[in-house]
Amino acid sequence: MTATATPKEIMATVIANDLRDGEWVEVGANLPVPRAGALLAHLTHGPNMTVMLAMTKAYLHDVPVIEEFAFITDVAATRWAEAYYPHDRLLSEMRFRRRGVFFAGGIQLDRFGNSNLIGIGADPRRLDFRGPGGIGTCNATLQNGRYHLVTTSHSPRVLVERCDYVSAVGYGDGSSDFRENHGLDPQGPASIITPLCVFDFDPDTRCARLRSIHPGVTLEDVREQTGFEIGDDGDVPVTPVPTEEQLELLRTRIDVRGSLR
Amino acid sequence: MTGTAERRPVLVDEAAAVEGVADGMTIAIGGFINAAHPMALVRQIVRSGARDLTVVGSASSGLEIDMLIAAGCVNTLVSTYVGAEGLAPIGPAFRKAAQDGEIDLFELDEAHFYAGLRAAAQRLPFNPWRAGLGTSYPDLNPRLKTFHDPIDGSLLIAVPSIDIDIAFLHAAISDAYGNVQHEGTGFGDRAIHAAADRTVAQVEQIVSNERIRQNPAATSIPGADAVVRVPYGAHPFASHGYYPADKEHILEYVDAATDWLKTGSRTRLDEYLDCYVREPVDNVEYIERVGLRQVLALTEYS
Repeated sequence: MTATATPKEIMATVIANDLRDGEWVEVGANLPVPRAGALLAHLTHGPNMTVMLAMTKAYLHDVPVIEEFAFITDVAATRWAEAYYPHDRLLSEMRFRRRGVFFAGGIQLDRFGNSNLIGIGADPRRLDFRGPGGIGTCNATLQNGRYHLVTTSHSPRVLVERCDYVSAVGYGDGSSDFRENHGLDPQGPASIITPLCVFDFDPDTRCARLRSIHPGVTLEDVREQTGFEIGDDGDVPVTPVPTEEQLELLRTRIDVRGSLR
Repeated sequence: MTGTAERRPVLVDEAAAVEGVADGMTIAIGGFINAAHPMALVRQIVRSGARDLTVVGSASSGLEIDMLIAAGCVNTLVSTYVGAEGLAPIGPAFRKAAQDGEIDLFELDEAHFYAGLRAAAQRLPFNPWRAGLGTSYPDLNPRLKTFHDPIDGSLLIAVPSIDIDIAFLHAAISDAYGNVQHEGTGFGDRAIHAAADRTVAQVEQIVSNERIRQNPAATSIPGADAVVRVPYGAHPFASHGYYPADKEHILEYVDAATDWLKTGSRTRLDEYLDCYVREPVDNVEYIERVGLRQVLALTEYS
């Protein structure tokens, strides 16, 4: 009998299934779901992936249990390091990021794939809520070959019509030439991955549209919890759940402490 | 023929290390989020009563910046993030001061941060960067200007130079002449140093010049203007090769600062600042107040 995967384990599996061997992926310290997804891909089909862990280049394919770190500066991560990057070097060497895949979160994500870590409120000098700051997401979402927006909180406050501020740009105002007019590659975010569903972006309208809904979740649930309008796409497929092998790897080698459960 | 002049050591104590800080200056604080901030010097800067500083945090800053804001030293902040990851996703004093309009924010991305430092190091007015176009950064920070590249005409952002008067860093060792070596990578400390007129480094140990010369390639800051010996000087943050972050003490600060954010009362925050920052005469007294048993129990591989 197969154990039932949790929504976060399904999210990690969506991420893992998207990653290809040989890609470069950065695993932040404080994003447990993208961390698990990247490591799952590395262990199942990505022995040639470059996994960046706490600013180290790590080879983890044979590591029995990959422990978690509380901080990106945790010196314990260096035990698996083949290289340890000074931070300014990591932010200067952009050329290899074309084969990189990045994951960004936000206090707001909007229907055009823009994300906001800056704050909420009309007056930037008097924000109702000051966010943590964009860190490196503005740059990393542009430099990497592909990126996904990820949130563990699917609610109308997070998934909004338009972000109050944009720290990482998706398809801007949704106009067909927004990215080109701003000197950017045409490709914005590939998807938004949430505990309820996966959105991708309609190539014609650049609006988020349902690609799949997780098992046990209804279209009505998603509509209620989403702050932008979701088109009537009729038959939305069910998100593939982790295989037995994937779930076992997650629970015994990647997420032993159960942050996804 | 050898002259009689002698090489001058640059060793100073904590008080002398921050003497150059004047109101209105631009200072930088090295390290990264929960590691390697020059906390003995940060606390000394608070004790010096400096005001209206423009503070350049590390590319992503920790609660050392939150503390400087809480103590009223900061006019303008240059940083992409202030927080302590899971211990405090957003610095509480940073959040309060930003929401109340008490500090000016030079909004930017980590890549802009290094582009600006690089411009300062190269004595250029700006460095170009592409990311940021189409975002709110140029609106929120009018000093980020868009322009057309004269080579191929594409739209770019000019990131102005981030010129630093004094950079304060934490590292593992130095000799008496300011040849500083980090343990670990040093995060962005080299880039901060290169953008600064003067660099003051606190270190865990002062070592002989011969020891530095055993591994000259490891010298990350070749010639700090002043060095200070401060064992446990990065506490409560990690110092690679010496001790990890003291989560318990960081949470003590977070609780006190969060009380200010939530209630508007500074009572608990001021109790923290009095006890750990304003009253101790130096880092030794600070460590005594935190507790020798708590500090000496910190170990990287437990």
